[in-house]
Amino acid sequence: MGILSTAVGWLLSLGSSLIVMIVLIILGLVFRVGWQKAVRGGITTGVGLAGLFLVVNVIVSALQPAVAEMATRFGVSKSLVDVNWADAGIAWGWPGVAGLIVSILVVNILMLVLKMTKTLWTDVWSYWHGSALAGFVWALTGGNVLLGILAGVLYLVAGSLMSDMTAKKYQEFNDMPGIGVPCGTTVQASLFAMPVVWVLDRIPGLKDWDASPEGIKKRFGLVGEPGVMGFLLGVIIGIFAYGVGTGDFGIAKILGLGMNVAVMMMILPRMVSIIAEGIIPITMSIVQYMRERFKDREIYVAVDCAVLLGHPAVMASTIILFPLLVLVAAVLPGVQMLPIASLAVVPFWAGAVVPYTKGNVVKTVIVLLLYAIPFMYLSTWSATSHTAAFQMMGQYADQIGQGLKLASWDMGGDILGNIIQGIFMLFGFRTA
Amino acid sequence: MSKLIVVACGAGINTSTIAEDSIRERVAKEGMTDVLVKRILMADIEGYLGRTDLIMIVSMMKVFRTFHVPVFQGMPFLIGSQQERDALLDKIVDAIKKA
Repeated sequence: MGILSTAVGWLLSLGSSLIVMIVLIILGLVFRVGWQKAVRGGITTGVGLAGLFLVVNVIVSALQPAVAEMATRFGVSKSLVDVNWADAGIAWGWPGVAGLIVSILVVNILMLVLKMTKTLWTDVWSYWHGSALAGFVWALTGGNVLLGILAGVLYLVAGSLMSDMTAKKYQEFNDMPGIGVPCGTTVQASLFAMPVVWVLDRIPGLKDWDASPEGIKKRFGLVGEPGVMGFLLGVIIGIFAYGVGTGDFGIAKILGLGMNVAVMMMILPRMVSIIAEGIIPITMSIVQYMRERFKDREIYVAVDCAVLLGHPAVMASTIILFPLLVLVAAVLPGVQMLPIASLAVVPFWAGAVVPYTKGNVVKTVIVLLLYAIPFMYLSTWSATSHTAAFQMMGQYADQIGQGLKLASWDMGGDILGNIIQGIFMLFGFRTA
Repeated sequence: MSKLIVVACGAGINTSTIAEDSIRERVAKEGMTDVLVKRILMADIEGYLGRTDLIMIVSMMKVFRTFHVPVFQGMPFLIGSQQERDALLDKIVDAIKKA
């Protein structure tokens, strides 16, 4: 036991990039992908994780002083820094990630054998939503890995059940027989859309109102480009933070902030994609094994929510939603995070909602404006455990010590994830 | 000149990586050294359409428009059986040879 705890302690002291590298190489050897693939995957993921944290560092250093300045000038407090998919860093870098992957595989197979779900969870990458929540709960419970895994498994089990409820609709609308989408915040948007669309369809005047997706894309398409959107947002925040009357120096600061935010919007997803490039080849063999094992049953094979983005109404709704969401978050009292990086999740939400609005842009926008409001408050509420998770992984320790707090919509604002966190808090767990 | 295949998905993160991995493996097995497989965001497709080395698009989502190069739907990489994946890879290899 002594040797084991020493070994675990040594492993944790290595930092998340090296931990994930070692964990993935071991997983790769266990899943028999061959040592070359295992080593390449492990190192690639470690690099992606390190890169992700580097990019977040850039934005934290640029954005934190700006939001602080804005707070003193206007007395509006939007003090949380939005890091959104940096949560994938928590997901793949927290110490219990391997345990979580194996646990959910076992639980999913059990549920399929007992016919409790039809969703075969082959989309290993999308475990990250559950694994990020697991990381939050790990932090919330002061470092309890088992409770973290329990929380992550609960979340992913709920995801399979929600996928069962939505699969048929996704299949028909996107013409993709046999799929299911159990991903976190996306599938919850579908459940949310069902009653809201029912109501919208009964409001005279509104029920037939639509906008042409092609027209919106042609006129405002540039706003939908992450880099352009990031630059604009950065400049607007810069103007509020530093004012326009401060001479050349102020303008340089404002433009600099615009560029830094654009950097984050474009490079953060690229880093996440490097992490995926490492993990996916390692998990392909287990995925193929599971598919062969259940091929005679009527099952929904889990795929990433990205397959839902094809319909033109998705990007058109997203373009309209970007400025509206920032505005709503800016004026709502008590919302502490101005969404920037988190806007990247909006197209995926739209992809989950258009099957229910039959591709109607206006209705999709209304549904998602309402859906985002709980995310705005919950991301504020969960910032403490969220920040603690980064801190316990050894990231941004200095800045966090000076009062930096990190938040996100995906996964920090996730409704189901916060319910699970809330249950753990009912049992008395609180971050120090 | 090398032949460029773009694999497009929503974020260029997950599904396109799965397809890219399968295509690269097969291309290597066929001994084709002049084929470049690149994963992109569907939103970035415009920038690739003008390239003269582009020979094929593999899309991980439903495509609602037409292109001047062959388009393959990559769903079998995500949910297909071994036979279905091999059948799609056969078609892709044929199309590479014709390009």
